[in-house]
Amino acid sequence: MPFYQILKKIIRTGVGKGRFWMAAIGLGIAMLLILVALQVHRNFNELLYSKKNENERADFLVINKRVTNAMMGNPALTTFTPQEIKDLSSQAFVDGFHEITAAEFNVKLVADQLGFTTEMFFEAVPDSFIDVKSADWKWQAGQQEVPVIVPSNFLNMFNFGFALGNNIPQFSEETVKSLSPGVVISQGLRTASFRGRIVGFSDRISTVLVPMSFMEWANSVYGTGVTKAPSRVIVKTKDPSDPVLAAYLQDHGYATDEEKTRYSKVRVIVQTIVSIVGFFGIVLLMFALLVFSMFIQLVIASCKKEIRLLITLGTAPRQLQRYLLKQFVPLYVVIGLLALAVVAGLQWWASGLLAKHKMYVSALPGLTALIATAVVLLLVYIVNLRAVRKHIADV
Amino acid sequence: MQIQLSAVVPVPLREKVLQQQSDIWNRDITFLPGQFIKIKAPSGTGKTTLVHYLYHIRHDYTGTVSVDGKPWPAYSRDDLAVIRQSRISVVFQDLRIFEQLTATENIELKRVMGPQAFYPPEKIREMAERLGVSHVLQQSGATLSYGERQRIAIIRALMQPFEWLMMDEPFSHLDDANADKAAQLIAEECHSRKAGFILTDLDHDQRFDYHQTYYL
Repeated sequence: MPFYQILKKIIRTGVGKGRFWMAAIGLGIAMLLILVALQVHRNFNELLYSKKNENERADFLVINKRVTNAMMGNPALTTFTPQEIKDLSSQAFVDGFHEITAAEFNVKLVADQLGFTTEMFFEAVPDSFIDVKSADWKWQAGQQEVPVIVPSNFLNMFNFGFALGNNIPQFSEETVKSLSPGVVISQGLRTASFRGRIVGFSDRISTVLVPMSFMEWANSVYGTGVTKAPSRVIVKTKDPSDPVLAAYLQDHGYATDEEKTRYSKVRVIVQTIVSIVGFFGIVLLMFALLVFSMFIQLVIASCKKEIRLLITLGTAPRQLQRYLLKQFVPLYVVIGLLALAVVAGLQWWASGLLAKHKMYVSALPGLTALIATAVVLLLVYIVNLRAVRKHIADV
Repeated sequence: MQIQLSAVVPVPLREKVLQQQSDIWNRDITFLPGQFIKIKAPSGTGKTTLVHYLYHIRHDYTGTVSVDGKPWPAYSRDDLAVIRQSRISVVFQDLRIFEQLTATENIELKRVMGPQAFYPPEKIREMAERLGVSHVLQQSGATLSYGERQRIAIIRALMQPFEWLMMDEPFSHLDDANADKAAQLIAEECHSRKAGFILTDLDHDQRFDYHQTYYL
């Protein structure tokens, strides 16, 4: 008969079994909470940063100062000073930064086919900030045709707001692209005429864009000679929902497309909830550990006489430790694996659910969850080992 | 393994011990390996106390008990376990049988406690037959008589390797015939191991060829 089997008859671990099971259930729930918190955190990051879920539109922000009543009538207050530019461009959340170059001349759009003329404005940003890819998006000195990108909203406003209300036909994007309205730029008495050509519609930048080369040429020839301070800048960012970014804009009185940064509020809320869940998981884990330690103390105290005789007869304290740990540790491992399995199931279910909404997260729990399981089990093991060691030494 | 006593005086018996003549207390004595040693003493003079000091489960004495030149307190709990599993065995006066185990299990406990069993399991039955307790082997420890317990405790002590066997009035619950059988078994086991023993008892006896007899 193996030694441990005889020990089983001498050291009864059945005492306080109810407490032990309660602690075991507590440990299971604690592990579940901790793993779920970690997993949700990871999924959220994956949704935000992974290539699969990359949201082109959300990666660029056009930032300007908020125009307040006090600023009205003083346009200089809405421009960025060089210090402000420097500060903003050096922020950690900024991956790419450029001022939006404004035209220093007047622009008039003449659409003869439609029979209207309108005052316009042009702005320019480097090509890398533009979401419209078109072979026509280039301009060289002497070129008559000027490619233009307008915001998608313009066409929508025209088609659904203006055209319907004024009994004017609606236009498709293709039709609009085929139009070539006249573009007249002027400064005082000097004017120049070009043919405009809308080459695309931008969802990203709500302004009328011309190529940087055209803007530089026109500003040099038809400009006032005084460079305008930039009033709008475009920022490329990995994470428009970064709460740091939102706070920065708020603190400096800058404004941007709220829709893009609104996510940051959701994110703060989710992070808070996840943190609270994780926190409760850890608190519960601590209680479970405490109850385990008390249970071990109880078992050893209830067999004090027997353990003392075993040691007198030559049983090594190490043998007793190993025996006692053997009674509990396999259950902890089972609980850990069970918690991991439940989280894996939940993750699989959630990834399926999210995929239906075009959000992609891994179908398996991440390495973090595995490591966390191992760490918690190790912690439980160490606490148990210490409790066993201490109480056996006290016998 | 050499056991040395150096000016050992039990604290609770101090007054009494210092007034009387004793071969053991407050003297320097060496028990040489392989010796059969008898310690004879009337009740109340500290026989059990001495065995507990020698086995290092009581520590309330002045002076030193050294094993292989090293005093007992210098051994760690793990060292002690190794010594009790393989070098020193014991039969307590109060026998110390686990009541929740059967007689066999009580013996088996000592057989399998060490890393390697000294005897095969059949040895339990063989020794039980020699001592006339084979019929109680499957009985729980709680139901055994004192005589049966004493013989089970002796067999248990013989299940392990040892260099010294400590016995505290090991035949106190046995009739002469059974005591002789037990003594014969013990002597054989000690000889086969080239081991010595220290036996305490109230009276004079001729059961062993003692090398030394001390009066406590």
